Amino acid sequence: MKTSSRDQGNVRIVAVEGDVDLSTSGELRKVLFGALRGVKRLVINLGGIHYLDSSGIATLIEALKESQKTNTEFALFAMSPAVHEVFRLTHVIKIFQVYETEEQAVGGAGA
Amino acid sequence: MHSSEARSRSGIRFRVEWRLPSDPAFLPVVRGAVEKLCAVFGWTESEVRSITLAVDEALTNVIRHAYHKRPDGMIELICEEKEKVMEFLISDTGDAPDASKICSRAKESQAAGGMGTHIIRDVMDTADYRRSGQANHLVMTKRLKQSVEGK
Repeated sequence: MKTSSRDQGNVRIVAVEGDVDLSTSGELRKVLFGALRGVKRLVINLGGIHYLDSSGIATLIEALKESQKTNTEFALFAMSPAVHEVFRLTHVIKIFQVYETEEQAVGGAGA
Repeated sequence: MHSSEARSRSGIRFRVEWRLPSDPAFLPVVRGAVEKLCAVFGWTESEVRSITLAVDEALTNVIRHAYHKRPDGMIELICEEKEKVMEFLISDTGDAPDASKICSRAKESQAAGGMGTHIIRDVMDTADYRRSGQANHLVMTKRLKQSVEGK
């Protein structure tokens, strides 16, 4: 798994690539918790994820809950059909703001 | 070529047996193999992904709960084509699961844990756990495509 981060105004965009599973979800948790600091909105690009399991979903839920504690907006975008399916199977998609594109996710429109 | 064609030519049913350490580094290897296997048996792309995920979740549960993330436990995975189903048997010699926690998470819960067993039950047609001596066994089955379609 690889992650990269860049800021656009007071929005931080984190891109996740590769496999997110038991061996990598801990690392993702650290990255996301760190990325929540000092920004108004954190958006996660899921488009590069090849494989996601329930530990990856759990990590995203933990990051969402942490964002609520720090009053940081939190959104996901670019979900592939494979990733969407894991969200469907875990019945948690409704708790996230999900967008198709980065532009939408950064702007927060049409959630 | 799907399994029905392969079987009609060979008459041999598929069976593969894996032995692997409880090290998450091996999970992508097993996923790759299960994914290819399910594709050969004619499941759709979506079904292939779901079955692979369910097997992966079961292995992850063994690593996490039976062996508490120790990488030196032994896991066996047998994928076997039966009359109408593909059977996935996962065995380990770690701690027995806490029965009160299996599928204890409400499906619509926003809790971060406990999703793996729900995925297994949603994806597979059957999933049965038994403890035998010092070993845990999880048997999961998925109806083969030709059985579902009544071919």
